[in-house]
Amino acid sequence: MLERHRREISLVVAILAIGAVLAVVAPGFFAFANQRDLMLANMPVLIVALGMVLVILTGQIDISVGSQFAICSVATGVFARMGLPTPLAGAAACLVGALMGSVNGALVAWVRIPSIVVTLATMVALRDGLRWVTQGAWVQDLPPGFQWFGQSQASSELITAGCAAALAVGMNWGLRNLAAGRVVYATGSSPNAARLAGINPRLVVFAVFVVTGALTGFAAAFNAVRFLQIPSNLGIGRGGDSGGSRHDCRNAAGGTAAGRDRSGADVSGVQRVLGAGD
Amino acid sequence: MRNERRPWREVCFPNGEWVLGLALAVELAIFAAIGENFFTWANFFEVVRLSVELGLLALALTPIMITGGIDLSVGSIMGLSAVVFGALWRDGGLPIPAAAGAALLLGCLAGLLNAVLITRLNLPPLIVTLGSLSLFRGIAEGITKGAENYSGFPAGFLRLGQGYLGGVVPVQLSVLLVAIAAYWVLLHRSGIGRTLYVVGFSPGGARYAGIPVQRRVALLYFLSGVVASVAAIIYVAHLGQAKSDAGTGYELAAITAVVLGGTSVFGGRGTVWGTVLGLFAISVLQNGLRLAALPSEMTGVVTGVVLVMTIGLGRLRGRGQRNEAIIDEADAMKNSQLAILCCTVVGGALIVAGTNIWLVRSLRPADGVLTKPAAKPGKRPVVAMMPKSKGDPYFISCRAGAEEAAREAGVDLIWDGPTGLDAAKQNEVVEGWITRGVDAIAVSVENSAGISTVLRKARARGIKVVTWDADSAEDARDYFINQATPEGIGFTLVDEGARLLGGKGEFAIITGPLSAANQNAWMEFMRKRVAEKYPGMKLVAMRPSDDDRDKAFAETQTILKVHPKARLIVTISAPAVPGSAEAVQQAGRKDVFVIGLSLPNLCKRYVHDDVVQAVVLWNTKDLGYLTVTAAALLVEGRTGKDSLQAGRLGTVEVRGTQVILGKPFIFNKANIDQYDF
Repeated sequence: MLERHRREISLVVAILAIGAVLAVVAPGFFAFANQRDLMLANMPVLIVALGMVLVILTGQIDISVGSQFAICSVATGVFARMGLPTPLAGAAACLVGALMGSVNGALVAWVRIPSIVVTLATMVALRDGLRWVTQGAWVQDLPPGFQWFGQSQASSELITAGCAAALAVGMNWGLRNLAAGRVVYATGSSPNAARLAGINPRLVVFAVFVVTGALTGFAAAFNAVRFLQIPSNLGIGRGGDSGGSRHDCRNAAGGTAAGRDRSGADVSGVQRVLGAGD
Repeated sequence: MRNERRPWREVCFPNGEWVLGLALAVELAIFAAIGENFFTWANFFEVVRLSVELGLLALALTPIMITGGIDLSVGSIMGLSAVVFGALWRDGGLPIPAAAGAALLLGCLAGLLNAVLITRLNLPPLIVTLGSLSLFRGIAEGITKGAENYSGFPAGFLRLGQGYLGGVVPVQLSVLLVAIAAYWVLLHRSGIGRTLYVVGFSPGGARYAGIPVQRRVALLYFLSGVVASVAAIIYVAHLGQAKSDAGTGYELAAITAVVLGGTSVFGGRGTVWGTVLGLFAISVLQNGLRLAALPSEMTGVVTGVVLVMTIGLGRLRGRGQRNEAIIDEADAMKNSQLAILCCTVVGGALIVAGTNIWLVRSLRPADGVLTKPAAKPGKRPVVAMMPKSKGDPYFISCRAGAEEAAREAGVDLIWDGPTGLDAAKQNEVVEGWITRGVDAIAVSVENSAGISTVLRKARARGIKVVTWDADSAEDARDYFINQATPEGIGFTLVDEGARLLGGKGEFAIITGPLSAANQNAWMEFMRKRVAEKYPGMKLVAMRPSDDDRDKAFAETQTILKVHPKARLIVTISAPAVPGSAEAVQQAGRKDVFVIGLSLPNLCKRYVHDDVVQAVVLWNTKDLGYLTVTAAALLVEGRTGKDSLQAGRLGTVEVRGTQVILGKPFIFNKANIDQYDF
């Protein structure tokens, strides 16, 4: 038990140590309001990191999620302005994300370009493509029911937290217990062995990129409803070019730290929360 | 190997670089046709000059990637070296050579740190250099507190980055050539180089073959630290400034160039020659798009497509090679077909984009976004105008006025600039415009010291230079279009805040980036006004937002918690005000006032919800309008001594070389609906 969860335990210890320091230096850190703000601010990263875990488990990487996030955010707003109810607009953003993920996945799985190259290319192309189309303009004048899904702020925050938690727990359980989860590990451990065992490793790789794209859209939609307007550089982040990579790297690092045991053994939800919450 | 007669193609292009060479040739052909002054020697050297820093990093990365490693920290080492160099020279009082020596030493140490962590502790290079990427950048930001900008270097040093040998060849080109030669010898003509390929194919096998793998790999990371700090010194000489953000994002651009050049990310394959081609494929694309006045966002899109195409083709070809049944000729046929396909797609994309823009222009003649491609000399004057950041809603609203003025004055308007706050990119764009030969340049200056040298160069070539929104050095431009005096803005904000607070209480400021000259000037006057007139008011916090809504949101949340008694947030960056307002609204703090400097359209809903009490701004459309009008008048030589006849704005006052737009205006619940920008 101890040996199996060595990484999680070291992360927990690190977090407890930081917590202890904060308790002395800034006790306000533990106030409910602050914890809630932190949770909401990091929730998108957590959801994206869930997808990243899958990608990294198959031995790939996706550094284009920052650009995908920006596009999905804008898409959420555009669909909402077209008159779709907010939840549907969010679902449509997931579709957009899945579409972008499928491009990555197809290039990695069937054209067999290394994922770092594919997603480097799509990161740059999608980011600049979005800038080209929007010219940096924000999505404004969103319908009145857009913010908080038309609910009260508190209930929308609860929905968000609930969905994120359900996703984390569900994925953890699914990876452990479902055939669909086990094939991800199998593909990551040895694509050749997986193929001999009757798994189509290329299909698995393709699928994890699609899922990551969809989760990115999901995260973008949940993030978008916290505000009245949608800037077109969300997730691409501060300082333009590098911001994108930083955001992406953060996700990648979060995913790496949390996701892949060297033995390819197991992942727990705790790990992902810890890794993503940085 | 000597005994075999290899076909010449394989000798010259051992890694299929000719595909990329052909793509480059197609790029050259297209831009020679649609770009202005593209196919000239002067522009050739300009392209080379601007790619020296990136080229050095790409060269350093090539052998690392051949061994199957990666170094993400090169951009950060550049930033750290630049800052240390600047600090030692200016604050430490060291002479330039000593400071440069110290910066190089620092590069050695940084490279050594990476090398030790990777080879001694056996950590994966990706993780190590991802960590040192943050570490080095963090130290650089710590040294400068994110705001310090070292400038004012002596002319002799700046020649290294801005001078020309014999008036033609850029000085720093020699450094790049030396580096290319050195890395070529290292990789392709030395025993060490051969062993690097072996390491890349199989580190374990290399060790059994008696190769000191760890020492070889360590050498490469060490070298990459050194080369990165050489690049840093050239970067400082090139821009005339050293700031902690030097080289941000360069690591990705360099990796793109290396990968595009055919180096395998799995190691074992790649050439210096390919990297050089990859580098120029990217820089020619950037330069060409600029000279053809096409939007710079196309760079990323086309780069991405080219990257996937060339690597994808390589993979498909590699699949064929592994299959022994496929004979040489068939492979060669397939190769050339694919290359042609690749180039056609790239060319097609460019042509489609070009014609699209043409089409848009012809459909909407009123919308003068771009000049005619390949306009003949002696035509309408061209005014090139640059915002600080293309994505900022503030500048988008200025653009509307600028386009209106361009139509009225009968000039063609080019609108381009960085997509984020990026002083180096501003310089690059201006350099491109100088080469293109525009008639007037109007810049909203991100960093005065950095851009003034290029603006002086533009003036020396007879181009009229106007700064707007934020000023450069006074001798670097003809006019500064001043939207409102810093005094007027600072005082208006404080007076409005004092009125809301009743003259006493705590307040906090959220600014743009800490280094923004405009915001810093406003804050100085705000402090002055508070000290003189409102002794009861107390500034408890000043935080940066980097002109980012979400960062302003988070900073405001923090201020509300840490300073619960603060009852006023003054946010002086256009995209940041909605962030502050949203944070106050979500916290349910009805007792906190938000005022600031932003666009009415961004804040309307918050103003109506009583979250934002007042927005101070000038008319941004008029600012864009006045800028282009003034530039056009300068080109035509119709400027008066102390006034301008500025179209619909009537007579506008000129003080010295400053054109004053007017007084700042206060938008509030009563009047905000009358404005739409």
